[in-house]
Amino acid sequence: MADQARPDDRWRHVRVLFLAFLGLWLLFTLFPLYFMIITALKTTAETNLTVPTFWPELFAFGNFAAVFAEATNFDALIDSFVIATINTLLSLFLGTLAGYAFARFPRQAGGENLAFWILSNRMFPPVAILVPMFFLFDSTPWGTDSIWSLIILYLVFNLPLATWLMMVFFRDAPRELEEAAYLDGWTPLRAFLRITLPLVLPGMISVAMLCWIFAWNEYLFANLFVGTDVRTYTIVIPTFTHGSQTLWNLQMAFSLIAMIPPVTLFILLRRYMVRGLSLGVVKG
Amino acid sequence: MARLAIEGLCKGWDFPVIDDLSLDVEEGEFLVIVGPSGIGKTTLLRLVAGLETPDRGRILVGDRDVTRVPPYRRDVAMTFESYALYPHMTVAANIASPLKARRLPEDEIRRRVGEVTRLLRIDMLLERKPGEISGGQKQRTALGRTLVADPQVFLLDEPISHLDARIRHELRSQFHTLEDLRRVATVYVTHDYAEALSLGDRIAVMGNGGRLVQVGNPRELFEQPATLFVAEHLGQPTINAIEAELVDVDDRLEAHAGSLRLPIAPAHRAALTKVQQRQVTIGLRPQHLRPSDELPQGVALEGRIDIFEALGSTGVMIVDAGGVRLTALTSPERTFDHGADVTLAWNPEALYFFSPVDGRNILL
Repeated sequence: MADQARPDDRWRHVRVLFLAFLGLWLLFTLFPLYFMIITALKTTAETNLTVPTFWPELFAFGNFAAVFAEATNFDALIDSFVIATINTLLSLFLGTLAGYAFARFPRQAGGENLAFWILSNRMFPPVAILVPMFFLFDSTPWGTDSIWSLIILYLVFNLPLATWLMMVFFRDAPRELEEAAYLDGWTPLRAFLRITLPLVLPGMISVAMLCWIFAWNEYLFANLFVGTDVRTYTIVIPTFTHGSQTLWNLQMAFSLIAMIPPVTLFILLRRYMVRGLSLGVVKG
Repeated sequence: MARLAIEGLCKGWDFPVIDDLSLDVEEGEFLVIVGPSGIGKTTLLRLVAGLETPDRGRILVGDRDVTRVPPYRRDVAMTFESYALYPHMTVAANIASPLKARRLPEDEIRRRVGEVTRLLRIDMLLERKPGEISGGQKQRTALGRTLVADPQVFLLDEPISHLDARIRHELRSQFHTLEDLRRVATVYVTHDYAEALSLGDRIAVMGNGGRLVQVGNPRELFEQPATLFVAEHLGQPTINAIEAELVDVDDRLEAHAGSLRLPIAPAHRAALTKVQQRQVTIGLRPQHLRPSDELPQGVALEGRIDIFEALGSTGVMIVDAGGVRLTALTSPERTFDHGADVTLAWNPEALYFFSPVDGRNILL
């Protein structure tokens, strides 16, 4: 046992350093979450102490109910969910078709440059189009204060990402499999649905996650566009700040509730998520 | 069941991959297309399958012109060099794919998949995925998928080249016995010449520039190669190619290469005089060059052994004869020392004469 350990000894310092670094990293990433959770459980008085406490004096579970005293706060979660979900389905549908075209017919689809230009749409600062987009959507029949304005607007950000990633996944899926399907007698559409689509499914699921989380968490445009008929949860969070004080405990409680859908989705789909993001989607 | 006809097929303008290629494959014929890698064999198959569109020419299956027919309506089955099995489907689902495409009833599909997999001896793998079976089994699965379709034409692209020797041999013998393959027009592509000689009813040798150099049955190609290219590629070990000059010596004709003097047989002499070519490339198969005691009636030549290899079923020696390196065969039980002098014998009737310019067989 002792001499087996010897080769490791040389690396002991490195390992200790590494573990220390990991510990610090964990602290750095988990502490905000921890503080969020305990803040959500504090009484309002306790959140206003000059010296913060790191463990609640008494657990105010009622906070989680109190955030829904305003009935529209729950509707905001529903609105956010509907917007994120419809936007994700649209991004996925259009992005898959476009990505397939760029992967399989690069010349007819406009070539590498067009594909990259589409991705570059994701690179400018969103605030640059904030005001123009407001006037643009304001001139539509349904105006800005509608779920459809945000559903369409978020395509500006999600569709390029979906197109680009799906293109990469389709490039990874061997063309020969489709050709083999043609020779089996399948038409191009049926070969696509039967053979190629199942191969890129893990990739599609990770794309869906990325799009959904973006649309779920978007604040900048939502804040300007909606607020009366439609409210997203992101614009509800600041409403816990009043003129003289911020209800930190309610704000954190609401934020924690808002974390439940994405975390649940991630846990359910993480198997695909990891496979999809590592890009090796079709390793047989 | 139908024959396959390819008429004046062209693909690629500036750098033709296939250039004015015509070929008929009769119903029930097993044609092997052979040629070095990257010569356009696969492109030819893809054109016939409909995965590529020709720039010119026609492809007929039976009386039907399929040149512009998409692959899924051609009734042509093809195996891919990479097997192209669907990784997310089981072996059974892979093989059932062509039948599903034809919307056959479930029990009919099950019956035919069962038949084909029993024939190919993969019936115990039906529920496995392609990632869980060996290379030979993948090849059988791919073959099963084409066989089950019962198509008009079979196209097989290097079906066994990536398998190890034993399985390759086993599958090769299976190609001889598969009734289905022997009933319809089959085009089999390979770069392995032994495979071609073994399997083909006819062989088409494909050369540079996307043309067929020679088409014929294996015997013809081996005995009367149209070019040096064909002679060099068919037959193991490779034929001896000797750059030589034809010289009249008294009333005889001799080929001079280095200090080597090869007398020309009278039958060849008459023909060679007619074509009036003095610089030739002489072809002499190693089978026709042996130690003099193994070929007593032959013409002798002296040389020194550079390399001798005993290969079990035969011995191969590389001999320096007057500055020319020649490969000769010996019977298997003999051994020779490196560096030893040896007297070889050869049969003048067995020489081939090729043009050093374009490699054409001068006497054909």
